Amino acid sequence: MTEASQALLSAQGIAKSYGPVVALRSADATVQPGEIHALLGANGAGKSTLVKILSGVITSDAGTTSVHGEPVRLRKPTDARSAGIATVFQDPSLIPDLTLAQNLRISRLSPSDVMPWLERMNLGHIDLELLVSDVPLAVLRLLDLARALAHDPQLLMLDEITAALTTDQAEYVFGVMRAWKEQGRSVLFISHRLGEVLEMCDRATILRNGANVADFDLAGVDEAQLVTAMLGEDLVKELSEEAAAESTPTAEAAVAAVSFDTPVVLELKDVRLRDKVNGVSFQLRQGEILGLTALEGQGQDELFQLLSGDHRPSSGELLVDGRPMNARSPYDAIRKGLVLVPADRQQALLPQRSVRVNLSTPLYNRASKWFTLAGDETERVDRAVDRLDIDVRAGSQVQRLSGGNQQKVTIGRWLASGFGTLLCFDPTRGIDIQTKAQIYDLLRELAADGSSIFLYTSELREIPLVCDRVLVMYNGRIVHEQDAKTATEEVMLTSAHGLEEART
Amino acid sequence: MTATTPDALATGTQAAWRRWLRRHGWTFGVWILLVVLVAYYSTLIPAFGSFQLASIINNGAPLVFLAAAQAVIVIAGGIDLGVGGMMVLTNVTAARFMEGQPLATTLVIGVIILLLAAAINAGVGWIITTSKVPDIVITLGSLYFFQGLALAVLPNPGGGTSEGFRWLFTGSPRGIGSNPYPAAILISVVILIVAWWIGKTRSGLSLYAVGSDKTAAYLSGIRAARVKIVSYAVGGALAAMAGLALTAIAGRGNPTAVGGNATLNSVAAIVLGGVALTGGIGSVIAVVPAGLILFFLNPILTAMGVDPNRAQIVQGVLIVVVMMVTGLIEWRRRRRV
Repeated sequence: MTEASQALLSAQGIAKSYGPVVALRSADATVQPGEIHALLGANGAGKSTLVKILSGVITSDAGTTSVHGEPVRLRKPTDARSAGIATVFQDPSLIPDLTLAQNLRISRLSPSDVMPWLERMNLGHIDLELLVSDVPLAVLRLLDLARALAHDPQLLMLDEITAALTTDQAEYVFGVMRAWKEQGRSVLFISHRLGEVLEMCDRATILRNGANVADFDLAGVDEAQLVTAMLGEDLVKELSEEAAAESTPTAEAAVAAVSFDTPVVLELKDVRLRDKVNGVSFQLRQGEILGLTALEGQGQDELFQLLSGDHRPSSGELLVDGRPMNARSPYDAIRKGLVLVPADRQQALLPQRSVRVNLSTPLYNRASKWFTLAGDETERVDRAVDRLDIDVRAGSQVQRLSGGNQQKVTIGRWLASGFGTLLCFDPTRGIDIQTKAQIYDLLRELAADGSSIFLYTSELREIPLVCDRVLVMYNGRIVHEQDAKTATEEVMLTSAHGLEEART
Repeated sequence: MTATTPDALATGTQAAWRRWLRRHGWTFGVWILLVVLVAYYSTLIPAFGSFQLASIINNGAPLVFLAAAQAVIVIAGGIDLGVGGMMVLTNVTAARFMEGQPLATTLVIGVIILLLAAAINAGVGWIITTSKVPDIVITLGSLYFFQGLALAVLPNPGGGTSEGFRWLFTGSPRGIGSNPYPAAILISVVILIVAWWIGKTRSGLSLYAVGSDKTAAYLSGIRAARVKIVSYAVGGALAAMAGLALTAIAGRGNPTAVGGNATLNSVAAIVLGGVALTGGIGSVIAVVPAGLILFFLNPILTAMGVDPNRAQIVQGVLIVVVMMVTGLIEWRRRRRV
């Protein structure tokens, strides 16, 4: 008890759900004065949700927060600020259409408040009359930091601040963090770069599935131990149980069916896009499910935009069935057989229309004589509905379906129209476990029928269940490739952090 | 030392000039266009003098105020179809209550009308933020509401105001003359105050913040709902300025004037003035020449011998061409980055 009352920040039992999706089950976090504290966890563990709650951006469903032993209620960002908590969020929180000086003004700051900090970060020469939209992202992160520091908070929260920074810029940030610590203030630090965490932080709180699983001193700890802590020791057992529950007989057969004799349907040769995708090459064979995993923001979004025809690569070759794709829009990509199932179902569906209308939208491209559909669309849609086992009780408006059923409809659209390669971008995000299993089965069945699937997922445990082969992406490159059956979460997470060649 | 400071971030005369041009280029351009049009007009008619100048400024004033009202609201991310109705309502209210009153009384009535208009339009903003119904729907309702209310206040054209009040807006006790200065000064003072508030103060800049990026504004500790209500209140007061100007010019109130047309003109003026309809971008100062140009197009076309009925075609084409040109400039700039 005495420790908790001395703590600078103490959050107990923080919980938050978005509808049926639980983001935080029950998280505790304690930060001592004069401490740099790391908040760690795999994707979707609830780090960002916790940060948003502690900074008053969203309100928690349950739990208490106290600063210096005094309970505080964080209902809006200004509450957190007056409680002495300042945050640098993952996305810049500067207004793009205003100048830097005007942005300071609306945060009730003057240039003289931030200048000492900017000088420390070698930005003393920056012209505050610049429009935010003209300033590079990395500089905006540092400006965000300077702005947070100017509020003179007791606790500074940094959510992935180093992700967009160069090495020397990151060093400035570390220098500022050290100085802050020397003043007896505290920092809550979130980073995917475990090396930084070990170098900078004193203690770490580890979140897993929306609850904290460990809180320990970082002295003498190495990266491998952190990865193990993020994954959990009971994981292996858990995984094998889930595999037994979820795998289907067809899965085995399908995995066996992929061999090196089958034709390559999609091939990338040294594909690049600005500084996001830095030379990606791989082959996808017919009937194969190729998995891709990565931490957030490693270029996977851009890679899928390239594949779905939303962007054209800056350089490199993109071959579909051995021929260059040259897609100028998703329409071209779809005609070549590359179809996308996005993570955000709102991007794919017409929420106010019926399941049947949604399933038949891709068929509009086939409209034949006199603007009528090809004629067999009713049949095709019926087959898709049967196959997907969609609960059509709320079928008159897709928005009334559950998230899982909506995702089935987005896949079903392509079943109705036919496709060559299915691109799935985190298709099971925010979906309940049972529907997830159904989607896995569906993907395996499709592969068994000869379709190829390129699947990005942020959930590592999906990889061995669904995929034949897995690629791990880091900083715009494929850093690891492995047979999915033998891929352990530890290996994938280690390489996803860009650490030394994974131990297999 | 400056290894991590890209050159583009450093101060330099050339860079500063280019930046000034990018940020204020539009405002500059619209003023130039106005000057060019006035110069061209002076060659079209035999006797161009202070009478013509006064006529442009005096009669253009209502549209300028109305455009400023629309600009403030649109910058904050809204749109107010009701400003035209508010102009008609304040016009007839002023005419009814100012009739036969001395200057001092009419001024007091004018101030009261401004405050009431701000309060009423703040209510409109409040309804939008609490009901979450889109601005365009609520303000379509307020347009009809104000227009109907105007007929209740003054069923037939009539009323009046004091000579001093008319002089204040037109430089002449009879509302028509060759003195452009009072109107020019009045417009300048009002617009400069609004421009200073919206561009220099925290509460004014919050309008840009909310219109530009609601999430970032929220994270910066700005209360979006309150900002929106403030934008509607200021917009209401500026629309009332347009109504008072109308009263001074005509010397009476006209409840049968079509507020919807005035609203559409205000939207056209802010588009020409470079205010982004998506919010967050634009200058109140640039809508002054834009409003004057839109008003001024008719006399020019008449002087050119174009059928006045076709003038609208030119207005429409002008707006579309201006938007296409700027779209092209923006597209080229993005491609270079």
